[in-house]
This record gives sequence, C-alpha cells and structure tokens, in this order.
Amino acid sequence: MSIETHHISKTFGHPPTTVLRNVSLTIPDNDFVSITGRSGSGKSTLLYILSTLDNATEGKIVIDGETVSAMTPQEVHRFRNQKMGFVFQFHYLLPELTALENILIPARKTKVHEAKREKALALLEKFDLKGKDHRLPSQLSGGEQQRVAIARSLIMDPQYLFADEPTGNLDSVNGDTVIKILKDLNEHENMTIIIVTHDPDYAAMAKRRIHLVDGEVVDQ
Amino acid sequence: MLGIVLGTAGYVTISGIMLGFRVFIIDQLINNDAQVRISAREEPILADSLNEEFFPEAKHIFWLAPPSGRRDEAKIEYPQGWFDRLDRDVRVLAYSPQLTIQAIMRRANISENVRMIGCDPAKQERVTEIQKYMLEGKFSDIGQSGNRMIMGLGLMKNLGARVSESVLISVGKGNPIPFKIVGVFQVGMKTIDDSTAFAALNDVQKANLTPSQVSDIAVRLINAEDAKGLASSWSSLSQDKVQSWDQINSGTMSVFKTQDIVRNSMTLTILIVAGFGIYNILNMMVTQKRREIAILRSIGYEPKDIISLFMTQGVLLGTSGGLLGMIFGHLICRYLSTITVDSGRMIGGGGTMMISFDVMIYVFGFLLAFGSSVFASLLPARAASKLTPIDIIRSEA
Repeated sequence: MSIETHHISKTFGHPPTTVLRNVSLTIPDNDFVSITGRSGSGKSTLLYILSTLDNATEGKIVIDGETVSAMTPQEVHRFRNQKMGFVFQFHYLLPELTALENILIPARKTKVHEAKREKALALLEKFDLKGKDHRLPSQLSGGEQQRVAIARSLIMDPQYLFADEPTGNLDSVNGDTVIKILKDLNEHENMTIIIVTHDPDYAAMAKRRIHLVDGEVVDQ
Repeated sequence: MLGIVLGTAGYVTISGIMLGFRVFIIDQLINNDAQVRISAREEPILADSLNEEFFPEAKHIFWLAPPSGRRDEAKIEYPQGWFDRLDRDVRVLAYSPQLTIQAIMRRANISENVRMIGCDPAKQERVTEIQKYMLEGKFSDIGQSGNRMIMGLGLMKNLGARVSESVLISVGKGNPIPFKIVGVFQVGMKTIDDSTAFAALNDVQKANLTPSQVSDIAVRLINAEDAKGLASSWSSLSQDKVQSWDQINSGTMSVFKTQDIVRNSMTLTILIVAGFGIYNILNMMVTQKRREIAILRSIGYEPKDIISLFMTQGVLLGTSGGLLGMIFGHLICRYLSTITVDSGRMIGGGGTMMISFDVMIYVFGFLLAFGSSVFASLLPARAASKLTPIDIIRSEA
C-alpha cells in the first residue's frame, strides 16, 4: 500500500497561478517523508492534496490502490476518519472540550468513542500528559496542546499521519519532543509519516526528503 | 435568545388575555342566551309583494301608491309544531318559549326603555344559566303569573328602584301595569344588565294584550357545537328565522377574528426579530468557530455533521428560549389573573381578569419559538457546512 501521485498540478485563482507543477511521487508504506521548500513553494498544498483535503487541478492521486477523484465524498470522509491523522501548525483543539474529549472527537464520528477511551488515556500517558485528561486546552501549555493534538490524530490508528509544520509554533524543546514522537511512531508502529517543515534539522531526521522549488520537485 | 423569550412570553400573555376574555364572552353568549334562537321572521311588504294575490293574471302592474309596510306582528305562527319537533330531537337539551317585547318602565318620574322577556322560569333556567348571576332573589320567584319580575342591576340603578318595589310597565296599548321587582341579576354585559327584565310568559302576554303569542323559542343543545348545523337545517324547514348563537352574535365573532389576526401578526413580528437574533448569533459562531469546523472536517466529519452541530445549537437556543418564555408568560398571566377589575361590570367570575391557561396556547407558542429558531439556524448551518477545511486552514496561515 502506498500513496502515488501521477503528474499532479495545482493552479489557483484569477489569473491562475500555478502552485504545483507536474509532481509525480510514490510514498511507500512506513516511509518518513519531509517536504521542504521556501514559503510559497507549494509544500503545504502538496501535503493537502496528498491527504485528500484538497483536489489537484490535473493528474491523479492513488491511495491504497484507489483513485481519490473516483471516490464518493462519503468514502473520502470515511477514509480520512479511519486511515489518516492530521497535525497542524495550530493545535485546533475545541476550547470547550477537555483534553480527553478532544482526543476522542474522531472516534465520536463513528460512535466508537466509548471503546476508544482506554486508548485515549494510554496515549495521554504515553505523551506525558497523565492526569491532565480533564483539563481544557486553555489550561495546557503550547507543547502539551500540540501533544494532545497528536494524540487526537492517532486515536483511530491511522495508516498515514500528515503534519503541517507541527513544530512551527513550538520552542525547540517541545519541537524536538514532537519530532521524536513522530519518529517513534514511524519506527515502532509502522506508520507512514509525511511532514511539512522548513526547519532543516527536522527535515534531515526524515528517511526521505522532498524539496520543492516553485512547485516542482527538485530533489528527492 | 432574549428575543425568543420575549416573543414566546408575549404570545402566551396576549393569547391568555384575549382567549380568556373570549372564553368569558362565549360562555356568556352560550349560557346567557339561547344557543339556537327561533324567532319570528319580520317580513317587510315590498312594492311587488302583493301582485300575485291581487292580480294573478296581469303581466305588468303599476301601482299608484305601491303597497308598503310589514306583515302583522312578529310572532311564531305555529309554536306547537316547534315544541313537538324540539321534544323529539335528541340533540336538544331544553327549550323555552318566550315573548320579548319593548316596554317602557316607569318609577315616579323616571322612565326607562326595556326589553321585557316573558318566559316560563322553570324552562328558562334550563336553557340559560341565569340563576348563576342572580344577586338577590331567585329566578324562579317570577313564577307562572302574578306580575313579578327580575331585572338587571344596571336597569334597577337607572330607575332608582329597589327589590320588592313595584314599577309600572307600559307597552303602548292599554293601561300601565304594575310589576313587582323580586330579584336582581348581573351577567356582566352592559347591554343586558342595563335594559333587560324577565317576567312570567303569561304576564307579559297579558300586558302586551296578545295572549298565547310567542315571539322566540330559545333552545339549548346538549352540544353547543351543533348549533350552526342544526340552525341551518331547521331554518330550511320553516318560515321562521332560526339562528345559532354565533350567527346572532356575528359582530362579536368578527371582532374575535380581527383579534386573532392582530395577535398572530404581532407574535410573528416578534418572532421574526427573534429569529434574526438567532441567525446573527449563529453566524458569528460560524465565523468564530472556523478553526473547529476545519479540524472536524479534516478528521472526516461530513457537511451534514456540521449542519446538525449548528442546528443543534440553534434548536437548543430556541427550545430554552421557548421554555423560558412560556414560564415567563405564564407568570405574567398568573399575575394578571389576580388583578381585580373594578368597574360597574365584572369581567369574569370573581371580578378578576379572566385569563386563559389553555394548553394549546403554550403548545403553539413553543412551536412558534422552535420553528423560528430552526428556520433561523438553517442558513448559518448551511454556510458552515460549505466551508472546506483547506479554505479555512489557508486563510488562517
């Protein structure tokens, strides 16, 4: 199983500006890919297209043997819910819910949040958040918030984890922790990790590095 | 939210007052007068009314002085026929033949124009609930004969009379006849209290010099709702005029219709404003919660999940607002129903405001609040569901 892109391009707006040009990639299972490039190079767009959040203007994406553009919206939603985890630059935790409830949101969608409760607590413990399960996001530090967000992305045991500048808002200690967690998931849980970053140190930790310049892959 | 509360409370209060008053009036109409009234048709004589009888063969008739006037006095031609029919009908609870005349009542130098109703007290009591409104004496005191009468409180005050005094009745023919006042009633409607007197049927017939004449038959039905249907079927059977209580009081009924329109349009206005309130709140919420929408969508929540999320918010607002409004309105109604109305006539039973606590008012008020909030949440919820995660994330970054 893998994610493949075939000659994808993406254009935006009027007049159209091309953000991605003819990108063809194959990301096999258990890969750890970092996407780097300057701001505006299209790295976030590539990540969103890979993760089905955005559509490519041209070309096709095949995930686990299925062409994304041929899937119904329901299938895409289910696919995202079951197989993908997302970590963003901002934690996007719901401020009204406690850490534990936030982690269980994806499970709530398919009504398995009761069954996943144990796992959520285990994740909290694993991420050094033990005893903070009933705190609101505003009562957590930035690093803790981001770790809760990662726990949320892992609750459904996804195959793929997409991270868009997960360290962008963190100091170096918390940033290192996040990257360590990602690396660990890749090594011990066989998860495929795709991370967008412009920190060269973090990018170097990945097994593979995709460098974008003006929407084109120049180095992989 | 506050809008919904006020809207619902307003609706409940206004409806309570209006319907309470209406229940009171209708109660009066149904119970103090006949539910179906059979009365003599007053038939005017027109220019061509007599053509047939005088010149059955002529084609064109020109009168030098065309006939005009009215046929005879107003009386029911064959009351016994009606009595038989009413006796047989199972839907009829009771009936009371009456002779209603206009008379002048005189006490010392004061004279008042009155409507005198001659009736059999035993039968009349079964048709109306007049006994309930007696302030002094009993309705049955008027007996079968003996020139005794009871009158409205207003009328007695106008005459300056007292119970057990006698006043002179003159009907325009014959000598004035003294009637003794044996009781006073007050039904709470000025038109009745100020100008109505009851006496025995025989006495009134004698005073009017028209023995055995009956001008009206008041009928009480087992079920007041049958009145309209029965009235129209009976009126096709005879020359006489048959009217149900709501036809007799069509003026009052049309006032009720107008009241309804005013009440509903007022409530609608309030609720539209309240609806806009909810719409605004939710619209703001959608803008504020863009990030949350984004994450839910990227986690795999579908547009319809987002819709139901925001609809739940709106419906929750509407429901709680509706409930609060109902409680608030109920309290206002409670308070209003303790206010004593101090005037010559009473509104409602114990001299206090009649307020309706009909369950349907509350059900309807709640449904209005609920409906308007659902309607108002629809647009923001749809707008929220149309946001795609990528748009939001891009605009954040």
